[in-house]
Amino acid sequence: MAVKAFSDEWAAEFKDEVNKSDGYKAASKGWKWTVGLVVEAEPDKNFPETRGLVMDLFDGAARDFKVGSAGDAQKCDFVITAPYSRWKQVATKELDATKGMLQGKLKLKGDLPTIVRYTKASQELTECTTRVPTEWPDEQ
Amino acid sequence: MPSGKKARLVTYASKEPSAFAEMLGGLIEANVQANPKKRQDFDALTARVGIWVTDIDEGVTLVFESGRLAVYNGLEPRRTITIRADADTVMSLSNLKIGLFGLPIYYDQVGRGVALGLLQGKLKIDGLLPNIATLNRVTRIFSVQ
Repeated sequence: MAVKAFSDEWAAEFKDEVNKSDGYKAASKGWKWTVGLVVEAEPDKNFPETRGLVMDLFDGAARDFKVGSAGDAQKCDFVITAPYSRWKQVATKELDATKGMLQGKLKLKGDLPTIVRYTKASQELTECTTRVPTEWPDEQ
Repeated sequence: MPSGKKARLVTYASKEPSAFAEMLGGLIEANVQANPKKRQDFDALTARVGIWVTDIDEGVTLVFESGRLAVYNGLEPRRTITIRADADTVMSLSNLKIGLFGLPIYYDQVGRGVALGLLQGKLKIDGLLPNIATLNRVTRIFSVQ
């Protein structure tokens, strides 16, 4: 059953997909930092409030994913920020996350050498979001 | 130089550097500051290196001048080397491991991918033959491994 984008249920399904992914597990060995996604509000897309997703990822496993405020996500070691519709493009494979970061469509904060070292892991993570059946608020 | 003020290693030619320029400049600055061997390479390098990312149609020119780097949006004239590749290959270049004698390793998974890219024409390097030593030095500075 589809779950509402960037809701608690969506975060739980996303976490399950990450933990099921052999590709992510292999690519993220040694990863020990938190990642925050900031999904900026777009009221005209029926996404009225900015949300944050805090991802506690450790050595190939997703330990905890929590939806909260943008402030919660901004406290993470790595923070990726984009408007709702950009994240939707990423989750529907319209936009490759690596290209999005190089083009500044997704804004990244954090230690660049580390994130570049784990490019494959971030691609696998993105792949996991595409497997979560999602109800998009702008399509309702 | 006045005491307490450090010259920036990396500067941006444009008042509004592109996201790609900031990312490459930030990556190189972090690498050089964290690793004395990379700093040695950085201090010894004088070259104008163009990088064009074919699938996002964006590029930069990295102007290395013995311990300083100026990052330009787009391709500037008089480049020593120009690397043209898709985004994934550019990220792979920065993940090349460095082996014996400071040479990039092309026989592991990442290295084979880069070598295959060269053979298949997905990775093109203008000015490669007369500037192999420069390319190796740039690769060492660029690599996060």
